[in-house]
Amino acid sequence: MPVEAIASSAIGTSTMEITISKFELLRELAATQGVVERKTTIPILSNYLFEAGGDRLSLTATDLDLSLRTSCNAKVKREGACTIPARKLHDYVKLLPDADITIKLLENHWVSIRCGRSNTKMVGMARSNFPSLPVFPTANVVKIPAQVLRGMIARTSFAIANEESRYTLNGALMVLKPESITMVATDGHRLAHVERSNEKFEGVSGELKTLVPKKAMDELRSLVDSTDVETIEFAKDDSTLFFRIGQRLLTSRQLTGQFPNFEAVLPKDNTRIISLHGEDLGAAIARVAQFADERSRAVRLKLEKGELKLSASSTETGESEDSIEVDYNGEPLTVGFNAQYIIDFLKAAGAGDVRLELKDSQSAGQLRPAESEDYKYRYIVMPMRI
Amino acid sequence: MSFSDFHGNSEIVHTVREMLTRHRFPHGVILAGPAGSGKYTLAAMIARAMNCLNPPAGDGFADFCGKCSNCIRIGQLEDLESRCAEAMEARESLKESEKKETRLFIQTHPDVLVIPPDPPQMMIKVDQVRRVIESIYFRPAEGRERVFIFTDSAFMKEAANSLLKILEEPPDYATIFLLTENAGELLPTIRSRTMTLQLRNLALEEIESYLARHRPEWKPQQRALVARLSEGAVGRARNFDLEGYSAARADALTILKTALSGSDHTELFKITETYRAGAEGREKIELLLRCLYSLLQDLLFIESNSAPLVRNTDVMSELQKLSQSADFAWLSSAAERLGDVERGLRRNLLRSLSLDAFEAALEKHPAGMRG
Repeated sequence: MPVEAIASSAIGTSTMEITISKFELLRELAATQGVVERKTTIPILSNYLFEAGGDRLSLTATDLDLSLRTSCNAKVKREGACTIPARKLHDYVKLLPDADITIKLLENHWVSIRCGRSNTKMVGMARSNFPSLPVFPTANVVKIPAQVLRGMIARTSFAIANEESRYTLNGALMVLKPESITMVATDGHRLAHVERSNEKFEGVSGELKTLVPKKAMDELRSLVDSTDVETIEFAKDDSTLFFRIGQRLLTSRQLTGQFPNFEAVLPKDNTRIISLHGEDLGAAIARVAQFADERSRAVRLKLEKGELKLSASSTETGESEDSIEVDYNGEPLTVGFNAQYIIDFLKAAGAGDVRLELKDSQSAGQLRPAESEDYKYRYIVMPMRI
Repeated sequence: MSFSDFHGNSEIVHTVREMLTRHRFPHGVILAGPAGSGKYTLAAMIARAMNCLNPPAGDGFADFCGKCSNCIRIGQLEDLESRCAEAMEARESLKESEKKETRLFIQTHPDVLVIPPDPPQMMIKVDQVRRVIESIYFRPAEGRERVFIFTDSAFMKEAANSLLKILEEPPDYATIFLLTENAGELLPTIRSRTMTLQLRNLALEEIESYLARHRPEWKPQQRALVARLSEGAVGRARNFDLEGYSAARADALTILKTALSGSDHTELFKITETYRAGAEGREKIELLLRCLYSLLQDLLFIESNSAPLVRNTDVMSELQKLSQSADFAWLSSAAERLGDVERGLRRNLLRSLSLDAFEAALEKHPAGMRG
């Protein structure tokens, strides 16, 4: 039975009694802790919503922007719903022995938790205080392979803007077409673009563009990492995004605003191309960056015949230079980049060779993995004046 | 429950409903008016009208049903004091390290967020505004409009500045309310980006008729008195603590009487002694000061032959007696010295001593000079 169905069958009852294995309960509590708000003065948000129906327990956590609903097997003696303080419950269940736990709703929102010879009571809140949760749409559900989504998020989420003023950049753009999926993230200084074709997305006609908020990306990533489910179901309505990962359902409010027209900034004639070992480049940049200006993190890249020189200097710390042998015969070129942006890309791209494609010292540089893997991955960094 | 339950200021309510009906409600609104005039109540009503699921047809203007799930949940905001107390309690139960980083918010509906001043400074802080900025670009979840209500205009400087950004260009579905007793306290740059709706004081009769409906258990004289004492603010009238006020006023009368007669100080010291230091004594002395001001004002009315304007009508005879020895010069210096007492309290001067000094400075016939 899907999680929503449990929920609806449990509404309107003021009793609840279930028995559940500690292992299963703890697994779901741990998976949802990330969504529970820690620093909040809105009492209901630090509570779980428990709903028991059929032979399942569904538990929900929300911070109002994001909510996560999951379920696990339970022996349901009496169907019903209650709310329980989330952190205390998690901390307490962790310490219980591996045995069955009985959870029972008492009067005045008190909840009793029994396990072996341990007996605890906690006070929750009225179920009606819990925000109502969006319902998974029945139409236009798109199935996305979990591994694909994981790969796309890992290659883009680090580039999402943290600045509150540029709110349309506070998420990644996901573009679904019948045969491809693309994800783009940028903070205005760098842009990560990853595409995967030769997929098959049923139910998508034309182009389905979605702005996925950063918080949802992070949560989605950790959900995908902790599952062995093969496909994720994605859907959206006017206000909400839905990602169903097996028995877990992540919902996120949608952001407003238009993602900028990123296609315009993708470089087209970066003809000075060199190939480098990712590890070599990463190590050299990390060393040199120690001596870069702490605020700008600017590193100078000097491309000459047969050699790429990296250097940085600051008045406080000194100066540093590293050089990497490259196969290059063109005109010399000097360009500055933020070291951190390049390190971020190298981390996301993983081991292997990378191609650095430049035009001149005033134009954006492009980085991409040299062997074209399953993902068509490109990363654009704006140059710095140095 | 509907807009018709809002008492007084019917022109403003009508303007609001007209704007709502035409979908022309501004995104940034300053609701100004004296304490207790219903700024918060009105904001919470507008939030409901914006999100009501079954708006009643009624008179053709926007309204709310008060019964749908959106109305009910937004309606839970109304008791601001209890909601603030809950939020404070929730913060108290956090870990010490997290407590410092946690700011007060009140939310009973996912699309309506109330931002009260954050204790202990009782100011709106920059972290609170930041949270609003982070959240405002998320589309409404269950309602049609997202509403943000700042219940006080005491902004920290940075907070006010960062508010400008969202006031300048709020998303289509968002409305920001700034409640204030005095719109002039807000930055001119905030005022220029918002529309100001000014709630006015109500006439005595309006308050009395309101009390007749909502406080039928009170005696008519009591209602008449409260109507006068609440200075035209419905909220203050409804929750008027006559007993507490009478006690504080008795103290205030004694202080004035002692000052004017310059006689025995035993009574005075017995009273001022009870105004102790610490947070719990603050409310008590604030009430006393308000009573002192109100009595001085009444004395001034009597002095200038405007006795019908007197508010503390129940102690008229005593006021008459006092006014025989209180001339204009004395009254004006008393008001000035009362201001000194207030300033001193802000600097944490001892309350009992400040009151003693206030009395001594106003004595017409200082005890020492009589002998």
